[in-house]
Amino acid sequence: MNLSAGFKPLAMILPGLALAVLIIGYPIYDLGYASLHEVSRFGQFRGLNGLTNFRDVFQDPLFYGSLIRTVIWTFAVVGGTLALSLPIAMMLNEEFYGRGLARVIIMLPWSISLTMTAVVWRWALNGRAGLFNATLMDLGILKEPIEWLGEAHQAFTVEILIGILVSIPFTTTIFLGGLSALPQDSYEAAAVDGATRWDQFRHITLPLMKPFINIAVVLNVIYVFNSLPIIWVMTEGGPANGTDILVTYLYKLAFRFGQLGKASAISLIMFGVLMVFTIIYVLLVMRGEAGADAEE
Amino acid sequence: MLKKSLLFWLILSPLVVVILFPFGVMFVTAFRPREELFTYPPTWTFSEFRWANFAEMWVKTNFGRALLNSLYVSVLSTVLAMILSIPAAYALSRYRFPGKRAYRTFLLMTQMMSPIVLVLGLFRMMVTLGLVNTLNSLVLTYAAFNMAFTIWMLQSYFSTIPRDLEEAAWIDGAGHLTSLLRVFLPLAVPAMAVTAIFGFINSWNEFVLALTMIRSSDGFTLPVQIYSQVAGRYQIEWHHVMAATMLATLPVAIVFSWLQRFLIRGMALGAVK
Repeated sequence: MNLSAGFKPLAMILPGLALAVLIIGYPIYDLGYASLHEVSRFGQFRGLNGLTNFRDVFQDPLFYGSLIRTVIWTFAVVGGTLALSLPIAMMLNEEFYGRGLARVIIMLPWSISLTMTAVVWRWALNGRAGLFNATLMDLGILKEPIEWLGEAHQAFTVEILIGILVSIPFTTTIFLGGLSALPQDSYEAAAVDGATRWDQFRHITLPLMKPFINIAVVLNVIYVFNSLPIIWVMTEGGPANGTDILVTYLYKLAFRFGQLGKASAISLIMFGVLMVFTIIYVLLVMRGEAGADAEE
Repeated sequence: MLKKSLLFWLILSPLVVVILFPFGVMFVTAFRPREELFTYPPTWTFSEFRWANFAEMWVKTNFGRALLNSLYVSVLSTVLAMILSIPAAYALSRYRFPGKRAYRTFLLMTQMMSPIVLVLGLFRMMVTLGLVNTLNSLVLTYAAFNMAFTIWMLQSYFSTIPRDLEEAAWIDGAGHLTSLLRVFLPLAVPAMAVTAIFGFINSWNEFVLALTMIRSSDGFTLPVQIYSQVAGRYQIEWHHVMAATMLATLPVAIVFSWLQRFLIRGMALGAVK
């Protein structure tokens, strides 16, 4: 199995490992240190202040507002994405005319920077001159143009829908990977036994796809929870903090308001949440690999 | 088959329309004369293709500079990530070594680490290192954040290259290095190219770190440059913004469309096992 062990493989992984530890490890340490200190606007430490930064965070109504919206944002985007991506992947996994083109189109949003997507949508949704209103008015669905991003609830809903749109390609890709590995003979056997397509879906596809669905849920939760560009570009968390989620609020605290101690505390809280999901992900992957090893 | 195809396209059509819609918006706004931006009621049609929009935009938005910055950062960070990832992926796919399991766990965890949660700490670190407002701060961070992905992709492809070939070369008297260069490398080049391109696209599209680390507009990468044409401006020149977005987006979208099937294969192979 192994060629020659020794120190060679370690020497091969070490340079990359060193860079990752420096760039990812050091900031975690720095944030931990800063969160326990009073920090001036300009980043000077003014002495230990225990958990004051965390207390400030937990007494801040804007933090709770952002937290609740983060939960809504994450659940809505991930839920919507999964509900759409599984049927899409199942269709793309079957032969039909133009399948190659359909795949290319559905993967398209993935190739474009979220920033650019958000910029284009911000213009398309412009109340006075946006082509979204133009289209709806041409189709007779709207009589008057709507200012889509002018009011917080509506803007947030629009942002969630765009979040779903840009998450579909990645999720569909995971599902396509899973579907292509499903055993074809169990479907044939089921068809012989007279199972309907719905039965096949419920009793064969869904159980066999479960590991892929689990992974898609966890990865999407992590990505969406951390996603800044869509909300930042379209509304910057406004109007009146009404579309702020934790990442936008954190970014404002750190780089607009100069509340570095408090921002460090929020970073650490988010890091903790992220760790929980990451550990779930690692366990899922490890379990999948253990299963694969056992089969060998 | 024909009936099924029509049905599938019918079901997919709303999504297809919504995906293509922003491209349409980009296109008709980029070519539209400035006077027709705010016609009321808004329409899709416009009087003429104003190619001059692109030339104007190039100068006014300092597009060339941002393009060079984006190229510099994306190329260098990809090269750095590949130089560090190729040996690591080779070690993962060919050797058994102490701590391998821990290393794989570490990779999975860094893959999940998002720059935004660490951005304040990263910024402070770059201040300490004197790298704030330099493109090299982005080269280092992009390489570090991309590495987990590139190592996973490379390792899953490397594992599909049969070991026998290399072993056969040794038996024929070739040294370890020769077999690596003559046998393994040629087979691995396509996988490396695909992985590098995806790494490049990731860096090309990154926003949060570029927005944070680069303080002066001379150093802006394309996403930040375009964002700066929109953010906090009293008057936004939307035809320029859309022309810039189109130029920045289309080449990447074309390359990505061409390569997306490799991504599906890579994931099926083991990136998500």
